[in-house]
Amino acid sequence: MRDVASAVLTILVFPGFGFLFVCALAFHWIDRRVTARFQGRVGPPWFQPFADFVKLLAKEDVLPVGAHERACALLPMVSLAAVLTAALHIPVGGYVVTSFEGDLIVVLFLLSLPALAYFLAGWLSASVFSVVGGSRALLQYFAYEVPFLMALAGPAILVGSWSVSRISGAQSGGLWTLLVQPIGFVLAFIGLIGKLKRSPFDIPKAKSEIGAGPLTEFSGRKLALWHLSLQVKTVVGIFLLVDVFLGGSGGGISLSGVTLFGVKCLLVLLALSVTGVLYARLRIDQLATMGWRVLAPLALVQLLVVVLVGG
Amino acid sequence: MSRITIPIGPQHPALKEPLSFLLTVEGERIVESALRIGYVHRGLERLFQDRSYVQNVHIAERVCGICSHIHTTAYCQGVEALLGLEVPRRALYVRTLLCELERIHSHLLWLGVLAEHIGFTTVFMYAWRDREIVLDIMEDLSGGRVAHAVNAIGGVRIDIENDHIPAIHARLDELERQMEMFLGVIQHERTFQARTRGVGCLTQEQVQRYCVVGPVARASGVAMDIRRDQPYAVYDELSFRVITADEGDVWARTMVRALEIVESMGMCRQLLDKLPEGPLASRAPRRVPAGLVISRCEAPRGELLYVIRSDGSDRPARVKIRTPTLPTLATLKDQLRGVHTADVPTILAGVDLCIACADR
Repeated sequence: MRDVASAVLTILVFPGFGFLFVCALAFHWIDRRVTARFQGRVGPPWFQPFADFVKLLAKEDVLPVGAHERACALLPMVSLAAVLTAALHIPVGGYVVTSFEGDLIVVLFLLSLPALAYFLAGWLSASVFSVVGGSRALLQYFAYEVPFLMALAGPAILVGSWSVSRISGAQSGGLWTLLVQPIGFVLAFIGLIGKLKRSPFDIPKAKSEIGAGPLTEFSGRKLALWHLSLQVKTVVGIFLLVDVFLGGSGGGISLSGVTLFGVKCLLVLLALSVTGVLYARLRIDQLATMGWRVLAPLALVQLLVVVLVGG
Repeated sequence: MSRITIPIGPQHPALKEPLSFLLTVEGERIVESALRIGYVHRGLERLFQDRSYVQNVHIAERVCGICSHIHTTAYCQGVEALLGLEVPRRALYVRTLLCELERIHSHLLWLGVLAEHIGFTTVFMYAWRDREIVLDIMEDLSGGRVAHAVNAIGGVRIDIENDHIPAIHARLDELERQMEMFLGVIQHERTFQARTRGVGCLTQEQVQRYCVVGPVARASGVAMDIRRDQPYAVYDELSFRVITADEGDVWARTMVRALEIVESMGMCRQLLDKLPEGPLASRAPRRVPAGLVISRCEAPRGELLYVIRSDGSDRPARVKIRTPTLPTLATLKDQLRGVHTADVPTILAGVDLCIACADR
């Protein structure tokens, strides 16, 4: 009985849904606030993301004629479920729900599911803007995913384990992976921006070109879930980067470790916000060129260095 | 590959004013575009004929929300020519000052719109924030941020007080510092260049064939500027450069407009320094002798032309407006052919359309 209670608590409260929900909204608010300050604006009050979420939940939920109703209802849930599940294998402040050899691969797979769901949402929601946005999302996926995967393979090969917790733990005594594989970190960071469709890679949802991209026709609860899944994905992506490249919590579960983890996460978030402020949005062909001509070869070089020198 | 048709407008995030495009797209390339205009036609030219010359100043002001002052300037100047009226020099100075402030405001607004369309939100925010500096100056001078009601037939309705001048200079100093930042971004920011260079190219021949005017023409190497070629108001007493570029793409247009802002600030300073003493308006009779006049001005978007015909009554027999946007609209079909869908907003922003002007 106690096992069941603790499992429910883990999944619903910490580090499951409740914790991620709060983190997602908080990170989203910090991001918006920081961006606003950089752009000479004030930014929203702290409860704005929550208010937006509640507002969307209460709004009418309509889809155009010709859209695939059932798929459109299912896809945001799939997307959200995938990122929430991925979070179970990523240590948060040293605490991880389940960990096994190879969970890094599972996490990467689960984190790429939303991209597929996003593409399908565009394809199935019967609007020109969403179809164009969907095909752009897929093209973008091919541009960033390979360098992102190769960048994350580096630390795994170096540590000799495909488990996120082991990679994170292995850095507690020695150097952060960031210092050993700086190129890998930069590539993973760029890949994460592409994954999260943040500026300057917000190509699939470029609002001056194609409205809201794949999500153009979504409204109400479905849109709220889409937004939430993207926000949770931001949190999970940042956790993953901190664990794999920035030494996680520094080993063990302690108050200082948790604080350290939080500070590192905020720094990565800050870096994401600053990158978003600094650049103009690229075109999809420019991103594809960059992905395959610059990022992928760099990732290959980093992997070779790891295998030849580190292994 | 299958073709799909993407509607842009009449309501679309990329458009600030109603205009409709039907783009036929193959993959991400545009193969065909069809343009439809006329969504903000208000019948203003006809309205001119039903109002007296004095009332018409207010109609001219409402042709366009961004370049309202240049419309009244062109109109008043035409009527003054018909009347053979001598406008006091101080009035001409105030008029010209407002023209140049309006140009700065219009170009900054445009820079913001372009930045937003290429997904550069930060520059958009900064440009519109710094545009407030000019709007504040204009509000202090006239009481209005965009509609100033400054021009009247025979002169102007506002005065610049002497203790006001240092404050305007100080604000221009601030704007000058900001412009250095913007010029730095335009010249050195790589993503900005990646999105604007080589996009929406117009050659010198195309510009001349379509009779394109203003910054778009100057960005393609055609050095035309009514302020220099046929000086009106007091432009013959000011020293300024006509900015041109050779590339003819959106980047060149950005550069031309940014440098024009710098030139305009210099002109504002000259106007404030040289401001002569004297009356602000001369009295204009109600009835205008019969005749036909063509009044030309350099609006922020290029040559603005008013043709006014008078039959000797207190109402014009015909007022015809030719706005700089009209020839630019004709070039869009050429510019949009074969481009990437992502470049459509950039191209539309790059030519700086003013639909309210064009439709009237």
